[in-house]
Amino acid sequence: MYLRNGKIGIFDLASKELVEEEFVEGSSWKRMSTISIADDLASKHGEDSLILGTGVLTGSFVPSSCAGIARGPSGSDGLPRLMPIMGFAGFELKLSGFDFIVVKGVSERPGYLWVRDGMIDLVSAEGLRHLDSWARTDKVRADQGDSKIQVIAGGAWCDSKHPQSQAIIDYWGGDDKSGIGAELGKKNLVAIAFRGMGELELAEPEGHFEDAILMMREHVVKLGANHGLASYSEVADRGDFKKLLHRNVGCYGCPFPCRSYLKISEDPKELRLVAKEPGYLHYDIPALRKAFEVGLDAKDATVALMKCAKAGAEAHSVLKWASEISSKVTLASVDEVLADPADAKRSRIEHPPGNFESSFGDTETYRTCLGMGLCPRYWAKVGFDMPEVSLFAKDLVGRTVPARDA
Amino acid sequence: MRLKIDPLKCVRCGLCEVACSLNRDSVLTPMTSSIMLHVDDKANYFGLVLKTGGSSVVLARPEGTSSGQQAGSSGGPGAKPILLREVCDLCEGSPRCALICPTLCITVVD
Repeated sequence: MYLRNGKIGIFDLASKELVEEEFVEGSSWKRMSTISIADDLASKHGEDSLILGTGVLTGSFVPSSCAGIARGPSGSDGLPRLMPIMGFAGFELKLSGFDFIVVKGVSERPGYLWVRDGMIDLVSAEGLRHLDSWARTDKVRADQGDSKIQVIAGGAWCDSKHPQSQAIIDYWGGDDKSGIGAELGKKNLVAIAFRGMGELELAEPEGHFEDAILMMREHVVKLGANHGLASYSEVADRGDFKKLLHRNVGCYGCPFPCRSYLKISEDPKELRLVAKEPGYLHYDIPALRKAFEVGLDAKDATVALMKCAKAGAEAHSVLKWASEISSKVTLASVDEVLADPADAKRSRIEHPPGNFESSFGDTETYRTCLGMGLCPRYWAKVGFDMPEVSLFAKDLVGRTVPARDA
Repeated sequence: MRLKIDPLKCVRCGLCEVACSLNRDSVLTPMTSSIMLHVDDKANYFGLVLKTGGSSVVLARPEGTSSGQQAGSSGGPGAKPILLREVCDLCEGSPRCALICPTLCITVVD
């Protein structure tokens, strides 16, 4: 099977046992969608399962083929929780040797899932429960001896199972707008970490490489100069934001990054590795917009989003509550909300606006794009064209897949 | 012919690593590449390391590019140590990393 490992890992947290199932790819884009497959796996293994998976195109040379997903049980809206997994985490998940991972049951004690090279272990992590998401990521990477391990970490809010908690990927927030973080807490997981030395075969490597380069070059010409998050949203197109901008960063395979790193504790022009935690990576458009709306400047907005990420709290919701308890939102009022997830629970629960979810005007295109393993934000920007993407199928998976079946 | 790396143009998309491995083994993986991303996420410090000889490397760091020797004890960036990786062979005249680099961070010069 091309671009796949051919394997689903089903891990029971209660028994700590891994069962493997063969993964068989569907014949249409719809049946190949990560989201559809995750729905099927939830029906088979239990709706309370937490399911991680990658798209058929994840890790290819198709531009911005970085995405995976996490699917959790239905939230208050009755729909399954769905979180895109961006950055390098999607590709790394695929390289870990599994196409999908189904996490069942509840761990007796706090622990983290360690997924690598076709193996999954539950690592006891009592001590990590008291750490924030950044320290958890640091600890997992240090303990396993590799700084490139991708970590989906929770924080205090996730541990408290707060519906507005947020799973954090490699220190940054913005992927989880559906409360997958709370699902980590419910399963007594402090993190899920993955790394892999996998290799993915292609039907026609040369053909795919050449076609992808042509497409990427067309995109680069069409998109013009990149300004990071400001190229995707006016929210980052302001003086105080630009003043703190250090460098823009792409996810795997992205030629036109939306991630802008602001330095707040050292000169943004400092290129050397001096401070260990000098700033924060912005790509959470609704949270940043909310921060500016409640009166924070770019520096305080950066600090606020960093605090939320460390706590594993959804930043838009936190800032909204901060504005309800204080006539002028400051970092102190953000701290006040973050300090006690149980107290914040008393506030009205509302779904935060989508981040990547808002890339397209409609949910269906978002799910189609994400389900293939592509970044919805990039593809909304460049123009998502199913027939164009479908042309890659023959070289990638060795057969044609009709665009109309998406 | 050699590769020229302008590290400040890098957006750490990682395509160079995978393109390099593709040329070597016809599979998608960053594990067998001669060019490697070096990343410190929290500080947003990132650059490229290119293996050019037995223990010779080009370090394309944000503060500048330099040539040097890889320390024998160093594992280097990633799970597979630099010392265990193949030396860049410039893909026999058409370096894949330069072809796919979307920002012209990696270019070919004479």
